[in-house]
Amino acid sequence: MAKPTLGVFGLTGCAGDQLVILNCEDELLELTELVDIKDFLMASSGNDTSCQLDVALVDGAVLSQRDEDMLKRIRERSRLLVALGTCAVWGGVASLDRNQDRTRLLEDVYGEMGKKYDSLPARALHEVVNVDLSITGCPIEKDQLISAVASLLQGDPPLYPKYPVCTECRMREYNCLLIERGEICCGPLTVAGCQARCPGLNVPCVGCRGPADDANVESAMNMFGEKGIPREEIAAKLRTFAPAWGVNV
Amino acid sequence: MTRSIKVNHLARVEGHGGVTVEMDGRSVSSVRFDIFEGARLLEALARGRHYTDVPQIVSRICAICSVSHSISSIKATESAFGVTPTPQTELLRDLLYRGEDIESHSLHVFCLAVPDYLNYPSVVALAADHPDAARLGLRLKKLGNTIQEVIGGRAVHPVNVLVGGFGKLPTADQLMALRDELHQAAEDSKSVVDLIASLPPADYCSKDTVFAALRPKQFGYGYYSGDQIHVRLNGKTEAVPAAEYRSLANERAVPHSHAKHSQYKGRPFMVGALARLTVNSDLLNGSVADVKQKFGLNLPSGNPMDNNKAQALELVYDIHRSLETVEKLLADGLREEAPVPVRPKAGSGTGVTEAPRGMLVHSYSFDGQGRLATADVITPTAFNAASVEEHLRRAVEQNAGDDDAALTKKLEMIVRAYDPCISCSVHLVRRRNAP
Repeated sequence: MAKPTLGVFGLTGCAGDQLVILNCEDELLELTELVDIKDFLMASSGNDTSCQLDVALVDGAVLSQRDEDMLKRIRERSRLLVALGTCAVWGGVASLDRNQDRTRLLEDVYGEMGKKYDSLPARALHEVVNVDLSITGCPIEKDQLISAVASLLQGDPPLYPKYPVCTECRMREYNCLLIERGEICCGPLTVAGCQARCPGLNVPCVGCRGPADDANVESAMNMFGEKGIPREEIAAKLRTFAPAWGVNV
Repeated sequence: MTRSIKVNHLARVEGHGGVTVEMDGRSVSSVRFDIFEGARLLEALARGRHYTDVPQIVSRICAICSVSHSISSIKATESAFGVTPTPQTELLRDLLYRGEDIESHSLHVFCLAVPDYLNYPSVVALAADHPDAARLGLRLKKLGNTIQEVIGGRAVHPVNVLVGGFGKLPTADQLMALRDELHQAAEDSKSVVDLIASLPPADYCSKDTVFAALRPKQFGYGYYSGDQIHVRLNGKTEAVPAAEYRSLANERAVPHSHAKHSQYKGRPFMVGALARLTVNSDLLNGSVADVKQKFGLNLPSGNPMDNNKAQALELVYDIHRSLETVEKLLADGLREEAPVPVRPKAGSGTGVTEAPRGMLVHSYSFDGQGRLATADVITPTAFNAASVEEHLRRAVEQNAGDDDAALTKKLEMIVRAYDPCISCSVHLVRRRNAP
């Protein structure tokens, strides 16, 4: 049987999720024995840029007409499209500006020239095309990527936790930074999968993985309220990586 | 007869960029290093945020340089608030930068550049015929990531680095495991030297070049410490204080390009490993004394292809230096210390460090509550853009007799030798619309 074909693409972003693929140093060469990587511009020249793909992995968000055209083209040629990383899944840091005037922002950074750029407000991939699987994280976790590839090779979607970082943090018995230090920790609302890396380092969660389906938003907001942390401040913090959290302010 | 060469989408570089050359007979009418990465406007988005949020936001400018962006940001903030980190924090940061440098250089040299010299499209293709070389590169790349994980908490976008210090210090067990890996890497580094020394020569566009790099203040040759920029111009070294970085970033509009170009005294300049070696080689210790010679690296070199060799030399140096640092940390023992207390105040500060691909500037001002008022970020690729075009122009002039395919390959190799990071560069370089 022919090996499944794979493409790896980057829209606008920091390329961090593509870098996580290259960071699978122990698995990379073995992976290429199982799948045929046809198109991966960041890592290879001589790509086949028109062939049909079984799986496309796409990182970054849609921030220009060029990104949008490229994404639609990838969708057309791929059986499964996987959104890789918080930018692709939620919009990411660039979506911080959704409520701000983009023309003014462009002028702030680029001066008069800013008006002429091909530049759109950040959108997640699912706002433009149909997405088959989302692997969140800023960047994605290596083990979640590898389990996704392994599952897809078997024809199954991978299973990821829907509970929040807070649950992972308690399982590891880390000190609670919110209760013990009164710090704004986004762990109660952010989706798990990072093994509560930041609280484990005494650093509050910044919500880089985006919202958890199973988070109890109201109870978390009450907990923040008891610590005297205003709702607006939590909302501003949460918006850093994803625009939609189900938190009303 | 007019002729044009166009690379619509550069492969094996980070981000979206291209090259366009227009020629009329043998004379070159225009050369452009095109950048069409989307604009994320992170400097504008970070404005108004509390200083504790800023490093995590600006880290996302670039994954491969995420340590450099986070810590340049922290350096700028500490300078604005008058915070002095402890000597232990400074040493750990120095080590963290070496981890980033080892990872990035292994990726660039083995996965992006070496395949060019040996005529392969990628490291995966290279691995089929030269498995040892590919595995060597990947092993060292992993080592760089391990250092970043142990010190920075994560290989991409470090989470453990804070204004004033670290969230948590590495354990002795982690350092001992790292020491073992570094011993293995020190053995591996001999193979790196042999491989790079055996590459066929590549010289397509040598010319008199100006170099700029941060001058380290402590820990020898390195990437983190210091607040003076040294510029090597016409055989002399000129010092520019970090806070006056604008004298190297006086962007000038050029007729053939919309890109803003950085110049120093009217001259484009090069930043990166070759620039660092040119400016700071007196700080290298003995561990790499013979490597320069084995690589045939004669400094100063106006051949940008030598940047690949300079990166390989830094890779070898960083391995030895990191081993010394880890041994010292284990011998002295880490002192448990919380981050230095920070008292925010209105003011401004500049943090300059060396990202793997060259000098990086973050310059901020804050209001009295410690919220970011203004931010100016200048990345290595933005500093390099004018110099890249100068070297491309020279290559086209020198190799005008080549057919399109041969000339295109040379132009791509030159851009790649600069190790551009195009996601980074959009924060300063004015972009052109995509073709």
